[in-house]
Amino acid sequence: MMLRPVHFFIVAAYLLAATVPGRSAERVADPGGQAFRLVRAVMCEAIEGYEPIHIGVVFSVGVGRISFYTSFDGVAETTHIDHKWYRRDELVTSKRLTLRPPSWATFSSIQLREADRGPWRVEIWDAQEQLVKTLRFSVTK
Amino acid sequence: MMNTLLSFLLSIRWQDLVDVLLNSYILFRFYVLFRGTVVLRVLAGIALLWVFQRIAVALGLIVTSWAMQGIIAGAALIIIIVFRNEIRNVLQAKNLRALLWGVPQKSVSTPIDAVVEAVYDLTRKRIGALIVFPGREDLQETIQGGVRWDGMVSKEMLLSIFWNGNPVHDGAAMIQGNRITHVGGILPLSLRDDLPQQYGTRHRAAAGLAEKSDALVIVVSEERGQVVAAKGSAFIPIHDNVTLKRTLADHLGASRQTPKGAMRESRELAVAAAICLLCMAGVWFSFAKGMETLISLEVPLEYLNRDPRMQIMSTSVNTVRLHLSGASALISSLRPYQVKAKLDLSKAVSGQNTFTLTQDNIVLPPGLWLSRIEPPEVQVALDMPVNKELPIQVDWVGALPGGLILESVSVVPDKTMVEGAERVLNRASTIYTEKVRLDNLQASGKITVGLVVEPAAFKIVDGNTQKVDVRYTIRRRSD
Repeated sequence: MMLRPVHFFIVAAYLLAATVPGRSAERVADPGGQAFRLVRAVMCEAIEGYEPIHIGVVFSVGVGRISFYTSFDGVAETTHIDHKWYRRDELVTSKRLTLRPPSWATFSSIQLREADRGPWRVEIWDAQEQLVKTLRFSVTK
Repeated sequence: MMNTLLSFLLSIRWQDLVDVLLNSYILFRFYVLFRGTVVLRVLAGIALLWVFQRIAVALGLIVTSWAMQGIIAGAALIIIIVFRNEIRNVLQAKNLRALLWGVPQKSVSTPIDAVVEAVYDLTRKRIGALIVFPGREDLQETIQGGVRWDGMVSKEMLLSIFWNGNPVHDGAAMIQGNRITHVGGILPLSLRDDLPQQYGTRHRAAAGLAEKSDALVIVVSEERGQVVAAKGSAFIPIHDNVTLKRTLADHLGASRQTPKGAMRESRELAVAAAICLLCMAGVWFSFAKGMETLISLEVPLEYLNRDPRMQIMSTSVNTVRLHLSGASALISSLRPYQVKAKLDLSKAVSGQNTFTLTQDNIVLPPGLWLSRIEPPEVQVALDMPVNKELPIQVDWVGALPGGLILESVSVVPDKTMVEGAERVLNRASTIYTEKVRLDNLQASGKITVGLVVEPAAFKIVDGNTQKVDVRYTIRRRSD
C-alpha cells in the first residue's frame, strides 16, 4: 500500500454523555457484548468545543481535513477502540483511541489530498475486534 | 555407444519403417522392371551423383552441391525424354500385377540350337555375319535402314541371308523370338579407340549397338572365321559352340528356366533387394536423422478438466516455450496447431496450485522430441464461486454549489447479493453505484442509480436489484 501523508489529530476529552435533542437517529444500538454504548458517530469538517462542526457525508478536498467523531456512554472500564479508514476497500490507516468510564468522546482526522477523491468508509472496532459501526462518505473535488 | 545405439533404435517410429520399406520396394521394382537396360545404368549414375551431392552438402561445398543439384534435376528430366520408348515399353507391356509384383520371365522361343549351328556353319565357310538379339530396349531408333523379313529362324535361313550373293548380307539380321524380323540393318558404329586392330567395321558396328542398348550382338569374322559376342561395353570371345549356346541362353533368359539359373536369379534379386533396402535406409537416415534441427515454439497453455464449480483466478503463464528437436524436414513442415500444451486441472484444489510441466503435458506430431519447457512450473489459482451480501455505497463526484452541504444519504436497498470467486469476494466489502454528480444538486431529493460491479469476476445474483434509490438531504452551511 502506498504511504500517504495522513496526519492524525486525536483529542480525547471527557464529555458528558448528554443526549443532544434531535439527534436520536445517530444513536446506534450496542451490537452486543461491548463494555460501552455508541451514542454518536458522524463525519465532520471540524471539531470545536468537543463538538462536530459541519456534519456531512460528502466532503470537498478543499476542506483540507475531515474528522470522524464518536461518543460513547456506559463505558464500564478503560478500553480502546480502533477507527479504520478505508478508501475503496483499501485500508488507508487505522488509529487506536482510548475510552474511559463512564462516558467518552473521541475522534480521528485525516488530511485530504487530491488523490483521496472517491468513496470512503470508516469502521469502529472494539477491543474484542468486533465491528461496532461503519460510516460511509465521499471525498470529491 | 550402446546407449546411443539403443536410444537411436527406440527413436525409430513405425512410420519410419514403413517409409523405408515402401521406398525400398519401389526402388526394387524399378530394378526388376528395368534391369539389363541402359535406363537402369543411367539411374544408377544419377543416384551416384546424388550421393556425391549429399557429401558435398555435408562438407559445405556450396558451389559443388549446387552444381550437382542442377545436374541431377536436369538428368531426371532428360532421362524421361531420352528413354521414353524404353519406359513406355515397360509400362505398356505389363499389367498392374506385373508392375507391382511379378518378376518378368522371358519365354524363350528362339531356337538357340539352330542359331548356334548356323553361326558355326558360317564360321567354317568364312562368311561374315552380324546377328542382333535385342534385350528389353526398343532398337527401332538405333538401327537404321534394313528390310523387314519376318521369317522363321532356321540354320538355312541364316546361311542364306549372310550368303555373299544376298543383297542384305552386309547388314545385321535381328532375331526376336523365333523370327528373323529385320535383315540388312545398319548399326551405329562405336567411336571407341581401344578396339583390337583386327576388328573391322562389323565389330565396330556390333560394339556401337551393344554400347547403346542392352542387345547382344554376335559377330562372325569373315577373314578369320572367329565368333565374338558384344554385350554392353564388353566383347566376349566365343571359342566353341557350348560357350555360344550359354551366352545366348543367358541373354535370352533360357538359363533362368533351369534350377541352377533360377537359383542364380533368386540370389541376384535378393542381393538387389538388400542393396535397395540399404540405399533407402541411407537416404532415410540422411533426411530424417542426418539433419537434426532444434526449434523453439511459443504455444498457448490450455487448462483442461477444471472443476466446473471453480473459476481460474490467475495463472502464472498463458503460454509456454517449447524447445523441440527433430528432422529438419519435419520441423519445416510443422504447423502450429500440431503442437499443444495442456494442463489437467482435474486434481487442482481451491487456492494456489503448482504444477510441473512434463512431456505428458505436450502433444507433438510423430518424429519430434521435446528438449525443454519454459517455464517448467506453472502456478494456477482456483477459487470456488460464493454468494456474498455487500452494502451499497454512493460514488459521489463533482462539487456541490457553494454554501451547501450534503448532510445525509440513504440507499434503498442498502445491500445486494453478489456472486464471485471466494478469495476475491472475501476481500470485497462494498458495491458502489455509478458516479453521481453533485454539481446540479440544489436541494434534498431522490435519484435512482445503477450499480457498478467490479471487478469483472463479480456479478449480481439474479433477482437482486441492479438499481437503487438514493435519498439525500442537503442543507445550507450554518457559518
